[in-house]
This record gives sequence, C-alpha cells and structure tokens, in this order.
Amino acid sequence: MKPSAWFAAFATVAVSTASAVAAEQPLTDADAIVARANLAAYYAGADGRSEARMVISDSQGRQQVRQFVVLRRDVSEPGYPAAGGGDQEFLVVFSRPSDVRGTVYLVEKHVDRDDDRWLYLPGLDLVKRISAGDKRTSFVGSHYFYEDVSGRLPAADQHELIETTDAHYVLRHRAVVPDSVEFSEYTTWIDRETFLPMRIDYRNSNGEVYRRVEAQAVETFGGHPTVTRTLVSDLAGGGSTEMRFRNIGYDIGLPEDVFSERSLRAPPRQWLE
Amino acid sequence: MAKLRRSRRLDVVLALLLLLPAIAAKAAEDAWDDSWGDDWDEEPGGLVWTGFLELGAGVRLDDDEPTRATLGELRGRTETEWAAERWTASLKVDALRDEALNDSAIDLRELALQFPVGSALDVKAGRQVLTWGTGDLLFLNDLFPKDFESFFAGREDEYLKAPSTAVRLTAYTDLVNVDLVWTPEFEPDIYLDGERFTFFNPAVGDIDVFDPPLSVDRPEGLHSGEVALRLFKRVRSTELALYAYHGYFKQPTALNRRGRATFAPMEAAGFSIRGPLGAGIANAEGSWYESRDDGNGDNPNVPNSQARWLLGYERELIPNLTGAVQYYGERLDDPALLRAGLPDPRFAPDKWRSLFTLRLSYRALRDNLTLGLFTFYSPSDDDYHLRPTVSYRFSDAWQISGGASLFGGSKVHTTFGQLQDNDNVYLRLRRYY
Repeated sequence: MKPSAWFAAFATVAVSTASAVAAEQPLTDADAIVARANLAAYYAGADGRSEARMVISDSQGRQQVRQFVVLRRDVSEPGYPAAGGGDQEFLVVFSRPSDVRGTVYLVEKHVDRDDDRWLYLPGLDLVKRISAGDKRTSFVGSHYFYEDVSGRLPAADQHELIETTDAHYVLRHRAVVPDSVEFSEYTTWIDRETFLPMRIDYRNSNGEVYRRVEAQAVETFGGHPTVTRTLVSDLAGGGSTEMRFRNIGYDIGLPEDVFSERSLRAPPRQWLE
Repeated sequence: MAKLRRSRRLDVVLALLLLLPAIAAKAAEDAWDDSWGDDWDEEPGGLVWTGFLELGAGVRLDDDEPTRATLGELRGRTETEWAAERWTASLKVDALRDEALNDSAIDLRELALQFPVGSALDVKAGRQVLTWGTGDLLFLNDLFPKDFESFFAGREDEYLKAPSTAVRLTAYTDLVNVDLVWTPEFEPDIYLDGERFTFFNPAVGDIDVFDPPLSVDRPEGLHSGEVALRLFKRVRSTELALYAYHGYFKQPTALNRRGRATFAPMEAAGFSIRGPLGAGIANAEGSWYESRDDGNGDNPNVPNSQARWLLGYERELIPNLTGAVQYYGERLDDPALLRAGLPDPRFAPDKWRSLFTLRLSYRALRDNLTLGLFTFYSPSDDDYHLRPTVSYRFSDAWQISGGASLFGGSKVHTTFGQLQDNDNVYLRLRRYY
C-alpha cells in the first residue's frame, strides 16, 4: 500500500471488468486489496503527466505555495507484468515560488532496492544526489513526504483487513521495520470500486491519530479514476497542505530519455507545457 | 579619517536595512494573492520575471584590517527565460551596491542561449555557471571558476560558483555521454586580492594587508582559452565519469618574469564514481594536475604538478539530520626541488596535504528552518575552517540567513591558517518576488 498515494494522481483500475466483478464480490485478502490499491494509485496507464499545486498552511494559517509538473513512466522490463507494480521513473519540475523555480527532482523508484534520487539546483548548476534514507521527511516544505511522491512499497508494511463497509475496505498497516518510520500504524479506507485510498489515518504509539490524508475529489481521465484534490493534515502540530492536480494525461508516450540527467539541465518543454 | 569613513559605511548599511522592506514590497508583486479556487492562474503570457532583493551585512570579529565590514551590500536579482520552439534564452543578472568595498557592480550570472542540435546534442552558449564533479565544497575535476571571496564573506552558496563565458556541448549516446566546454578566454577564480581579507604574503613572510590590493597578470585573449571535457555514464545506480582539462591553475600561484603573480598553465585528467552504499551515497574522485611550465618541478615560481584524491560519504543520521564526511588528499610532485629554489623554504608547501570535512545539516519546521555546520580540518597543515549557518524561511517571499566563517591554524602560510585574522559573522535578509 502506498499510504498517501495520490501524489502522482495516476489512479486507475487496471481492467474495468475486473473491477466490476470485484465490487460485487468483496475481496477478503488484505495483500490482494493493497496490491490493487497500489496499481490504482500509482500505475494508471504506462505513463502520465499532471500539473500540481500545493498550498501549505502552517498552524497559524500562513500560506506558502509550490507549483510543479510531474511526469511519470513505468519501466517495462522483461519479467514485469504489463499491468504495473514494477519500477517507475518520476520527473518533477518546479515553477513556483521563485526560489525553487527551475529546480528539478528525478526519482527512479525500484521495487527491489533503494530508489535513486537526484535534485538539480540551477543556481549552482549542481546535480545533487540524495541518499535513500530520508524518505519520510517534508517534500519541499509541505506536509507531504518524499515517499508520497514515488510511493511506499507494499512489501514495506504488513496489512490487515479490519472491516468491509458498503463503500470501503478498511485496512490497518504496520511497518515491517518499525524503527524506519515515524508511525506506529496507519489505517486506510480504500474505495471498493476504484481501489483508490480515500483516507489514511496515521497513529502514534499512544494510538492517537496525528496525521491524516484525505482524497477530496476524484475525476476520471482516459478511463482512469484519479484523485484531483487531496489534503494532508498535521493533527498534532496544526497545519495542512492541500494539493490539486490539473491537465492530467495518461499513455502520452513519454520517451525513456525524458527521465535522465539531460532533463535536469534542459527540462523537456514539450512534455511540460 | 579612516574611522570616519567606516562609521559612515555602517550608517549607510543601517539605512538600507530600514529601507529594504519598503523597497522590496514595492518591487515585489505578490503572486500568491489569488484565491485558491477551482480556477488556476494561468501562467501569465510573455516573460515571467522573478528575482530578489537582498541586504547583507557582515563584520570581522578580531581585526579591523583591511575593512571592518566583510559584507555590506544591497543586491537586486532579476531573472527570466524566453522560450521559442526549441530555443531558450535565459538571463540572470544582479545589481549590487557593495558598501564594504565602496563599489557598485553589475554581476551578469547568466545570459545564454540553449538549444538542441538534432536529437542527441544540447548546446548552451553564453554566460553561465558550470559545475561537475562529486566533491562537496572541494573541487578536483571541476575547474570552472569559483568565487572564494563570496564564499568566505557569507554570500549565498550559489555565489561560490562564478559564471563563465563559454560554449557547452553535451552529447547523449548509448555508449557514453560527452560534455565539452570551451571557454574562449581564461576565466580564473575570483581569488582573494586583499581588499576584503588578509592572507599570507611570501614577500614579508607573514599574514599581510595588501594595500594596494594584489594585482596579477592574467592570460588574456583567445589564445588563453580553456577546454574541459567530461565523459559520463550511469551503470544501474552508479555514476561514472572521466575528465580532462586544458588551461591554467585557477589561482594566481605562479610568478612571471616581471615578478608578478600569474596563473600557470596546466593540464588535468581525472575520474569520479558516485553511487549508493548502505543507506547513503558514496563518492570517490581523483585528478592529476600537470603543471606545464614546471618540467622538473624545480622552478620555485611555478606550482608543482600534483595528484588530488577524494573519498566521501553522506547519509541521513536521524530524520532531517544529514551527515557527510570527506577525506581529501594532495600530493605535490617534487616539492624538495621547489623548496630548494624558494627564498624562505619554511613557507614551501608540504609534499602531502590531507583534509577532512564534516557537514551536518538539520532541517526543522518542514524545512523552513535549516541549521548547518561545515568543518574543514587539515591534520597535515594543522589548520581549520568552520562554517556554521542558520537560515529561516518566513514565507515564499522572505528569508533570513546568518552564519560565520571562522579560521585557525598553527602556521601563517597554510590554506586556512593564513586566513586566521578574517573571522567574521554575517546576516542576510532576502525578499523574493
């Protein structure tokens, strides 16, 4: 399960007929539900693009803004199912505010080893490599985490189906390596039809919910239900980040070389505008 | 008289400090006033102009010479980009009033045209900042100009890299990627010339105030050009690169026949490798500098050929706290011959130099607060340089940064030991628009 898995806003149900069947016959296997939700939230189409805008509000209501374009591509290597679930590449190009304008973030997400991540800082012409560790820390000053950009591997958590309601599968997740995360456990409400996670509550060791992610709007693009508005709230410290997506497209034919060092210094304009 | 001048400078700095918010508010158009409704603001048509106004003040802690203020400036940045078809023209320019040196300047950071040729070649021509290599504040194969005056005076990190007027060609192929940078006229480092900082003067055998400032002979004209080459490739997660350079030492460490400081010709070749190791990123880099005019290594007026190498490792220690260590070594080809030719061999460089660096950086309040410490320590030179920094982002527009540059060492002629009278603290307030 990718907990706050809407970053890329590439949500889908891989095969719509399968989805219809699933809606009638509730799934009972937690791992299978999580696998479906992973595909729904991250693997819509073979590639995708979206414009994103975040409004970050601190506990006193002061706001900051981030605006960027996300490009995503599934790496199709022999041995990976065409339906997704394998390695992916992300290119995030920032346009606002002015101190991060021109900053580019490149991620190669691997399912079998640590992700590779680079940050390009235009002022220094510096291609900075980011170490694998700090994935659950603030992404560009927002309440989202770096891990929310590219997703959390389903295998990183143990999953348990605790309830099936009319609309949702409700699951509880605990990290396989508890020391590697700040949460004690989290609960997800996964839409039974779209398999999109509609709400995630993160709990600390006292059982208190301190962080919540909510999908606030879902639209369908190219047959793929997609979260277009999401809110993450810091319930302990106050403050929240709202993120909206627009100009969403899937299967647009992003070439492999868009996701390379070349795009850091020369962002691929034809795919960004 | 000198005292009066200094106090007047401080008055000017104070006046600018008080004026800045008003100036900035006027210059800045708040782009975020728009409501966060369903309608997105379309990117305005035409050019998007961004930039900042910054006020910086820094003072020397332990000495008044050559100036009490190491930083006293009002800086305005304007940048924009113009794109058409496959062409991109970019501009980044600073206008600067420097009260520390009583000077005004236009600093053209970028004025360049970028375009692809065919499908696999990118060209960027014009004024631009250039960077490659794997070191963190240590440079082996990156022989593009650095601005050490800005670095020690506490300007924003980006000013450590000085711009070059150059043509960069980057070719992307399946076999290997190739970067070729031609700088038609030699671009040296912005070296310490004595105007802002004191350092070792071999002629007096001690740390000296250079008044008038050091003047050097600089290779000029098209025959002084530099060529830098990088071959690079990634194999899975590991980045590999080979480098070559033809040009000059970037610091005026040679003496010419007229007895003036100048830049010795040199060639360099090197390699680097960078990739994940455990939970962090490891890098290694090596380089050989061939001093072209120093045949046997016995000319005391020309720097020795030398080998440089670097090992680095960076990882997150706890969430939001990153630590990075580097070991850097230098070996001069034949300093014994060099020493024999020097008037005072005590101040000759050692054959071996070793340097360790430690970077700690801590981010808090969702990255709005950043605390940093960068430490250079050389066991062989017995000297150090400490760079504590703190920066706070009030909003998308306002940012304040402060820090210190502290130096020490047991000798007066080593890299950081010679800067020991230049300890300074600084504060910068920036308004983005």
